[in-house]
Amino acid sequence: MKQRAQNTFVVLCLSLCFTLLPLTLFAGEGSSSPAIKGRETVTITQELKEKYPLKRVHAKLSLECLFCHDGQGNNPEAFKAVRDKTCLECHDSKEKLANRLGFIGKANPHNSIHDGTRLSCDECHYEHKESMNMCAECHEKEIATNMWMRKTP
Amino acid sequence: MKLKLFILVSIGIGVGLMLSLATYYGLHKTSDQKFCVICHEMDPMVIAYREDVHGGAGKLGASAKCVDCHLPHDNILKYIYTKARNGVVEGSIHLFGDPSKIDWIEKRAHRESFVFDDGCLECHGNLLSTQTSSKQAQKMHEHYQSLKGTDKEIHCASCHSDAGHKGMRNILNYYTPEFEIMKEHMKQKKSEIQDKYQHYGIQKEK
Repeated sequence: MKQRAQNTFVVLCLSLCFTLLPLTLFAGEGSSSPAIKGRETVTITQELKEKYPLKRVHAKLSLECLFCHDGQGNNPEAFKAVRDKTCLECHDSKEKLANRLGFIGKANPHNSIHDGTRLSCDECHYEHKESMNMCAECHEKEIATNMWMRKTP
Repeated sequence: MKLKLFILVSIGIGVGLMLSLATYYGLHKTSDQKFCVICHEMDPMVIAYREDVHGGAGKLGASAKCVDCHLPHDNILKYIYTKARNGVVEGSIHLFGDPSKIDWIEKRAHRESFVFDDGCLECHGNLLSTQTSSKQAQKMHEHYQSLKGTDKEIHCASCHSDAGHKGMRNILNYYTPEFEIMKEHMKQKKSEIQDKYQHYGIQKEK
């Protein structure tokens, strides 16, 4: 009788282990953050925010420095300007961006008769300072009166 | 006595089932673009929806309904309440207000208030934990989760601004041009797109 009770106890313990083991694994999976683990971090202070303000849309998404300046260390002063490739990680492709303004037709700044889709993002768009509308270098009047474009975001 | 009780309960169940069935059909029949396009101020939205993969533009023709994204899905009572409230509010604007004065292009800035994350996640159920999406998608979806419940919370539509309605700004421009200089060209574009989607109940303007 005693033997039987012991056996039951062992089986119970084993089944408990098998039930709990996957649960602990599962819990571990939920709480860890594999994408950020082991990476550099930058604490965004008020001073940094003022020195390197984000565009309104990007600030609304609470984007962090290293989302764009990935692999550039953790000293914001030493960060370099990013290339088109970084912007397109979220914004997909220049063709797609051009299609979004497709209604503008030939005068579409993302697919103009002069440059097609070949322009670099930072010919006009700046992240940490006011953007600039390159079209306005020649088309001064049309841009100033908002005839075909709004303020460059 | 027992027989009376039995009859009463049976009638109760019968009436209850009939009401549930009526509610179900009512909700079902007023949930897709066929119903929503009855108000023609919705024409540009329905066209852009039809152009999008969510509107059946994909190879296999799978499509979501208007209510799948534009109603909350976390609670059935909230769902029915929001649907009823929207019906009354939007119906009265259509009948007694002036929908032509609505600036739809500006309204897109408030998209987070009329696109519900729990609606997106009803279909994209495994999106936030999947390892098969791109590294960038995983990184940003993790960011989404880390902000959830804080005062900086973001929503699916915060980033996916065109999801559900492909080229929404273009098509809205065909109807109400943002820029004076394009008025004539937009008129022509509108006419073309109305021809293309007329069979979906899109009204052809003279």
